Amino acid sequence: MSVNAWIIVGDQPTIGNLITVARALGGPVGAVVAGPRSVAETVAASGVDKVVWCAASDDVPAEANAPAVAQAVAADPPRVVLAGRNPGDRVLLGAAAAALKAAVLTGARSVSADGEGVLVVNAVFGGIAEETVAVSGPVALLLDGGSVPPADPASPAVPIEEVAATPLGLKVIETRTSGFDEVDLNSAHRVIGVGRGLKAKEDLALIEALATAIRAEVACSRPVAEGLNWMGKDRYIGSSGAHIAPQLYLAIGVSGQLQHMVGVQGAEIIVAINTDPNAAVFSQVDYGLVGDLYQLVPAITAALK
Amino acid sequence: MRIVVAYKWTRDPEEATVGADGTVDWSRAKPGLSTYDPVALELARQLAEAAGAELIGVSAGGKGVAAPIASKAALARGLARVVIVEDESLANAGRGELAAVLAAVIRHIGDVDLVITGDSSVDVAAKMVPTVLAGELGWPAVAEVAAVSGKAGALRVERAIPGGVQVLEVSGPAVLAASADAAVPRVAGMKELLAAAKKPVELLDLAALKVPPSHAVMTVTGRSRPERKARKGQLIDTTDPAAAAAELVTALREAGSLERNGQ
Repeated sequence: MSVNAWIIVGDQPTIGNLITVARALGGPVGAVVAGPRSVAETVAASGVDKVVWCAASDDVPAEANAPAVAQAVAADPPRVVLAGRNPGDRVLLGAAAAALKAAVLTGARSVSADGEGVLVVNAVFGGIAEETVAVSGPVALLLDGGSVPPADPASPAVPIEEVAATPLGLKVIETRTSGFDEVDLNSAHRVIGVGRGLKAKEDLALIEALATAIRAEVACSRPVAEGLNWMGKDRYIGSSGAHIAPQLYLAIGVSGQLQHMVGVQGAEIIVAINTDPNAAVFSQVDYGLVGDLYQLVPAITAALK
Repeated sequence: MRIVVAYKWTRDPEEATVGADGTVDWSRAKPGLSTYDPVALELARQLAEAAGAELIGVSAGGKGVAAPIASKAALARGLARVVIVEDESLANAGRGELAAVLAAVIRHIGDVDLVITGDSSVDVAAKMVPTVLAGELGWPAVAEVAAVSGKAGALRVERAIPGGVQVLEVSGPAVLAASADAAVPRVAGMKELLAAAKKPVELLDLAALKVPPSHAVMTVTGRSRPERKARKGQLIDTTDPAAAAAELVTALREAGSLERNGQ
């Protein structure tokens, strides 16, 4: 059985979306797992046709198995090789791409078979534009991995083929929990984005009060994180920052430049508050409020009570 | 110890405009060091200063990457010298091709112990060049590195993992991609810029590097501006802020936007 698509898996079996994309291309789908045996077992039950597991000791990070992953993929060269976006998986995909001398695309909106090749609609420059790219030859795709796939009741788990791995010189010597409040904008149902319409950092308290009332995460436009340093860089939304798809996005004092708005296109409902009736943001909202955020934000918080 | 920093001279998409047909107009965007590369340069500089290492910059790209303004911007940030491949064909090179060229440059330099890059470029933001580069070299790679210390053959590398920090020991040469807040870049002053003008710039010919070609051919068959979701576009009268707020809250409740753990 020659594999048409290889899925690369590191520490986490969060590959539901990768299986969907690989299946849509037709042909056998294989998975190479560089992480723990338990991950390989989850993957083996998820409906893929073949699983290769690179065995390694516990104190070695998944990235150390990059050569074994690349070798497994290159031994049965596929049309596409896919991986999720987390740092470890990116490293493994890079090694496979180098071994295959593959084209590398990271913004795929859609992937389809095109004769012997692949047709990809690919977002470029942080999503401000899209290109349709026809690729002949091997393609490495970095995609949103998706959730952990459920066990496929229709087919029994496939056997796990174990390959010996000689890990690269990487070793885990310490793992510390930070206790740091980590933000995951992607899983938030509601997000409030703050722009330069906010006059002072202290005024974030107004925004926080509203965020608490609707249980939203607070995010911002790029200048608020990078110029003003009012928030961490992991909180800015836009072409080079986070791309989110919450139920509700509330843009407060955001002008609505294309580079910011591409990051929230997936939002179900967009609301904007801005003093400038001509702000670009108002052409892209479900509900717009032209006015002073210092009056409107407390009024909304009060209206929720 | 020899440390290489791979940096990019490019433009910021925040300054580009996109036509209705999807063509990107860069004419108003000023070229510069890719936004996070000064962080990688600073991280490498601190490590090189502590370890007494030689610090070399490398860059590859289309026209402009070897311009004096570009090499000086990098050299003013602590590099002893730069090695650059400028070739028109690299202007639209894919991530794989660019990584293969950088790997060839690093082999050309020789005896390199460590390569440090930014995690993401400001324009393409693929986050893949450092990882493919490591694959080309057969070296380990660690992405989103927060801190690095030690010396060649025995490096301690810290990286963020969900809910904490992991410390890795790296033996042998490696590629590290620095996270955006791994270091606070020093500002390059007039003194550094003047000194930069006197530092060596080595230009390499792309053909002479004999980079193995990609096995894939990419053809752009269409361009578009991303489609926007249809929005209601309803303006709420704000003459009375309290009434406006009540109207918005009612609309959001009806749309179900405040459900699931909200009010």
